[in-house]
Amino acid sequence: MSDSEKETVPVIECRDVTKVYGGLKMGGATPVRALGNVSLQVGGGTIIGLIGPNGAGKTTFLSLIAGLIFPTEGLIRVCGHPARSVDARRKLGYVPESPVFLSRYSARAVMRHHAALRGVPRREIGDEADRLLAQVRLSEYAHRAVGGFSQGMKQRLALAVALLGDPELLLLDEPSNGLDPIGVIELRRVLSELRESGATIIISSHRLGELERLTSEYVFLHRGRIVKFGGEAAPQQAGRLRIDLLPGRCSVTQELLDPYGLLEVSESGLVVSVGGIEDAPVVVGRLVNAGAAITGVALETQDIEETFVRLCQERAS
Amino acid sequence: MAAYALIIETCLRKASIRIVHVSWFAIYALIFLFPFEPEMWQWGAFLFGWSGCLLPLLLSEGIFGDDIASGRIRLLATKPIRPMQFYLYRFLGLSLQGAIHISAAAALIFALHGLTGRGSVDRLGLWAVATWLVFNAWTALSTSLSVVVKRAHNSMLLFAATGMVLFMLSFLTSFFPNGVATVLFLRVLRYTCPSVELLSEIGLGRCRLAGGLGNAGYSLMLTAVYCAIGVVLLSKREFKGATD
Repeated sequence: MSDSEKETVPVIECRDVTKVYGGLKMGGATPVRALGNVSLQVGGGTIIGLIGPNGAGKTTFLSLIAGLIFPTEGLIRVCGHPARSVDARRKLGYVPESPVFLSRYSARAVMRHHAALRGVPRREIGDEADRLLAQVRLSEYAHRAVGGFSQGMKQRLALAVALLGDPELLLLDEPSNGLDPIGVIELRRVLSELRESGATIIISSHRLGELERLTSEYVFLHRGRIVKFGGEAAPQQAGRLRIDLLPGRCSVTQELLDPYGLLEVSESGLVVSVGGIEDAPVVVGRLVNAGAAITGVALETQDIEETFVRLCQERAS
Repeated sequence: MAAYALIIETCLRKASIRIVHVSWFAIYALIFLFPFEPEMWQWGAFLFGWSGCLLPLLLSEGIFGDDIASGRIRLLATKPIRPMQFYLYRFLGLSLQGAIHISAAAALIFALHGLTGRGSVDRLGLWAVATWLVFNAWTALSTSLSVVVKRAHNSMLLFAATGMVLFMLSFLTSFFPNGVATVLFLRVLRYTCPSVELLSEIGLGRCRLAGGLGNAGYSLMLTAVYCAIGVVLLSKREFKGATD
């Protein structure tokens, strides 16, 4: 693949992907639709937060991209290659929710083993293993058997394993499980560096505050469907503009504020849904032109948790 | 390097594997010291049964099933290696272990026979080759089974199935020695199951060179078929994680 092709080919391309578990294989149990008609494209150099309530299909979605399971319908490509193909696997690193290693192996042996499977040249394996173990702060435990590692240490080792061979796409399923606060900060630093180097990262996490610090792009999954995707779902940017008015100076209508949504209106003020702070002057300008006397303006942003709860409530209702 | 990593892993993945090798050698040595009289014993035949048929079940227990059940497979299956390589390198690891074990066991038997003079080591070399061939067939069958059953159930299942088959065989040959069902059952066993009967003919010297090569070739072909089934199963296998 040429460099120009690399730039145009999306890192992840999902077209009408559906995944149904069960049916005949499960002895006639009711089939479960884990994902339904999911379509999205992800370009290079981004970090995307994958969020959704339990059972939303996050692990299924990551497993499909990683080629661990087959879609019932639809098409998945990783860097232009069909998921599960050797070429696609060459591009990706994957951290499962609960990583498991051979307990008898030391951390360094695990790294060497996976580096060999990843196709890292023989002469570079030792250096690469040591470099990545240092990056995840496991150098001093490099010769200790993995069987004695805590969950957080295993998680860090899994991250080091996933970083072998400089993958273009990193899939992280709950990567901060069991990490101590320093581990979380380290994880953030590593992921930010990777993004700067052009890698694409998809993180599924229940720790929404932690995602907020890493990315402004989210995929909200709910019952196997994408509810929102992309920067427009970015909660820190989207918000409610609360404007206080002197009563009786003008009548505010939806037409006046199009395309912004008029959420609440009263004699003394109104609330408008805006994309971000940059929309505030436009809204204020229109109100002033219509004769309104504005006494105060405040942008109420929603954090990711509020957005998550709101979206879940909307879907539930 | 991937081949080397997967071959070595077959030996290091469990502490029990080294224990099995050592205890098998210990048993060979102890049998020579037993008070009963093994003078009539064909040590080659014993090697064939003990290391050729029983050892592969223990070495291959949970070879894929352990990884699938623990979830470790999710890390391995995202590496850029084809399912065929993944399967064959592991099979090769077990086959090499078998080759080394059988050679060492044959040498041990030969040495102990020289020291004690007990039993017979006639055609021990041929028995060793036949043992390795039957070892490979059992290993391939057990490895392929391990792709579809979790943990070490592949070995237990094969062990139980072999017991059932032997029971049926003894029942049929005792009560209906010339019955159609008996003949049919024997044919099915001979051509679909690991070629215990065909390969033992090599060790017993019942066949000439061409016949022996034919038997060995058939066993290798059967091993290849078992492997091919395992590769297909592995390619079609999904590796699900815990649900959200």
